[in-house]
Amino acid sequence: MNSIPVLHFLYLSIILFSIGLFGVLIRKNAISVLMGVELMLNAVNINYLAFAKYWNWNTLTGPVFVVFVITIAAAEAAVALAIIISIYRQMKSTNVDEVHYLRG
Amino acid sequence: MANTIFYLIAGIIICSAFLVVTLRNLFHCALFLALAMFGVSGVFLFLNFEFLAIVQVLIYVGAVTVLIIFGIMLTRNVMDDKTRVLNKQVFLAIIAAAAVMTISFSAVGKSVFFEGDHPTITMAETSAAPDPPKPSSLGQNDVYALGLELIRPEKGYAFSFEFVSVLLLSALVGAIVVARKEKS
Repeated sequence: MNSIPVLHFLYLSIILFSIGLFGVLIRKNAISVLMGVELMLNAVNINYLAFAKYWNWNTLTGPVFVVFVITIAAAEAAVALAIIISIYRQMKSTNVDEVHYLRG
Repeated sequence: MANTIFYLIAGIIICSAFLVVTLRNLFHCALFLALAMFGVSGVFLFLNFEFLAIVQVLIYVGAVTVLIIFGIMLTRNVMDDKTRVLNKQVFLAIIAAAAVMTISFSAVGKSVFFEGDHPTITMAETSAAPDPPKPSSLGQNDVYALGLELIRPEKGYAFSFEFVSVLLLSALVGAIVVARKEKS
């Protein structure tokens, strides 16, 4: 009994994505919002690899996309933290509710 | 046995992800984020993508979490105990997240891909010694094949690969420029 239904991987991915979305929506601190986004990206990675494993085609498209997603997530985290630190210097706050310079 | 370990890892991931989004202390959030990333790399190991599991640990646990902890420390005095960590739209957020989860569950359950017998992912039998990589083999868990797939010009990923490297360089320069202290 060494097999797991592929649906369970998808369920895990859905739950992780929803928790990340919940975190993005409810938190005030911008760094917490960033953490929620990282959780959502990880849910997407689980989905890619589960499908790549399940459909045993002779391609590596799923792992290649996971490599790209991990790279872009790292770049996004670096830029987002730089922006958060810059905003903190100007406003002494990292709450996403209070940053409304661009409000029309 | 392997099934039990998978469901244990899944439970760890879900619990620590929930703690990431609900805990007050941002440091604890970051540490539970690292635990969730470890769990996700364990799931990658279950799917026989060993290289990506190691990459996951290196980048997420080693780089992103440390970066987030540095960001927390640099914006430290926001988090005294009196301030609220949640905003006013908690009920709307609960409704939205539950709606996304329900719709995705029902969509996955009704998908034509999964009709009939439920497909399963079989764990690879442990082989004694893996074959040395051959240029023609495109094994699922082969680092050699993955690298070849990324840079071979006829596959179509070579441009994306180079583009991602340019993106990383611009993100590096942009992060330095944005976070630099302005001379006044």
